[in-house]
Amino acid sequence: MSGAAIATHELLKSYRGKAALSGLTLDVPKGALCGFLGRNGAGKTTTMKLLMGMIRSDGGSLEVLGKPIRTEADAVAVRRRVAFVSEEKELYPFMTVGQTIRFTRPFFPTWRKDLEERYLKRFRLPLDKAIPKLSKGMRTQLMLLLAMARGAELLLMDEPTSGLDPAMTEDVLQELAALASAEGVTVFFSSHQLAEVEQICDRVALIDQGRLVIEGDLDDLKAQYRRILLVFNRDAPRELETLTGVDSLRMRGRTASLLVHEDVDGLVKRAQLMGSLSVEVRPVALKELFLDHVRED
Amino acid sequence: MLWYKAWLETRWRFGFLLLCSIALMALPPVIPAPQARWWIGFEMQISLLGAFAAVYMAGSGINTQTFYAATSGFHGSMYFTLSMPVSRLRLLLTRAGVGAVETAIVISVNVAESLYFHPPLGTTIQQIAVFGVRSIICSMAVYAMAVLLSCLLDEMWMFTASLIVVGFLYPLQFHNNWVGWLNPLRGMNLMTVPITAPMPWLTMASSVGIAAVLFWVSATLVRRKEF
Repeated sequence: MSGAAIATHELLKSYRGKAALSGLTLDVPKGALCGFLGRNGAGKTTTMKLLMGMIRSDGGSLEVLGKPIRTEADAVAVRRRVAFVSEEKELYPFMTVGQTIRFTRPFFPTWRKDLEERYLKRFRLPLDKAIPKLSKGMRTQLMLLLAMARGAELLLMDEPTSGLDPAMTEDVLQELAALASAEGVTVFFSSHQLAEVEQICDRVALIDQGRLVIEGDLDDLKAQYRRILLVFNRDAPRELETLTGVDSLRMRGRTASLLVHEDVDGLVKRAQLMGSLSVEVRPVALKELFLDHVRED
Repeated sequence: MLWYKAWLETRWRFGFLLLCSIALMALPPVIPAPQARWWIGFEMQISLLGAFAAVYMAGSGINTQTFYAATSGFHGSMYFTLSMPVSRLRLLLTRAGVGAVETAIVISVNVAESLYFHPPLGTTIQQIAVFGVRSIICSMAVYAMAVLLSCLLDEMWMFTASLIVVGFLYPLQFHNNWVGWLNPLRGMNLMTVPITAPMPWLTMASSVGIAAVLFWVSATLVRRKEF
């Protein structure tokens, strides 16, 4: 676990008896650019708060950058090395851009003045502009600046592109990708925009109802998973439900759609024995993986 | 830098309180009356302004920076604050410390203004200074109560609840029993002109004790709270 940027084992968290995390086991290696996917209420924000030591877990263990978070002192130490950008992207409305930077800088001995200047120039952020007068995109850029310049080793971002226009979204994504490759920073970000995740991430973790459903390198997952489309001359047989090694199965009339990730050829053969007229095997997109694993039907 | 943040966060409300204080104290008495009567009025005004200042300066902090509050017009910078590498106790103590100093300044200005604009006959500057000091000490109990409520409630409800508590406590200070003697507002008030009443040591001690307990409860709550 110690080589990982994030390592959780059977993490539990509930709010007033309602489970938010039901045994989350997650492993994100250092240097990864990992997309964190899940439906609303799946437990993404709770996971991020736990990783920042903002809330306490009810059970299980977690390590951030090789350090366990058990006490508030652990959490404070971790927060010196980790940056968090919340979904709301709210900063202090009584400060200007310059004041916000001056306020944040002294908390981090590893502050990178060169990165501060670089991103101020790149994002064209006016130092004397009050925070409430910044657009949401500019607030996101300022938060990115604060996160990057503090010299964080791990960047946690909760839906960093929500509310941004396409051009700004592209800028933010490019910056994240550049940061991960140039500075060796681990980026762990949640998003509902699967295309974004597919665009820049080398790794994904998908959770549903507080548990990990899929985790791994994006390319490996895409290579591993296959969609098998079957057409029968009658209603799709119920025996399909007995097939092992099927991640998800949908049957509609004479057609059936299977998501599989092992022994594809074997499954095709068994399906043909059930009388399918045609069989099509094709690669799957991240969106399909996501939908097949979280859809309730 | 937390002090810097707390100052930027509170400077407008601090300035507003000072302006209110100057405006109220500089007004001549509306009803012609003997000076002794004015002074009773001014003292009540000073104590109420002190209590109001204590409640007003205790606002904001971590709890009021929720996203829910932001949608109601307040800011939702709570997660930004909590992502800083500082303990919650330090966050609370810094914010409460700045507010306490500002409350003390507002009360001092109130007392100084009353001296300047309406000097009470037969009262020395030393007596007035002592009155100011005990007002500040006793106001810390009211301040600590407001800080505690700010750990539990959003700013609007904290302010409302605090004023209800002050309104409830205010008449109780006049009771000549333990309810009155231990009441912090009694220490912020004094119904004699000139100021010759003995120092309300019991009230001051109870105010310090109440403030200490309430700050301790606030610190415990903030450390345990899940934002």
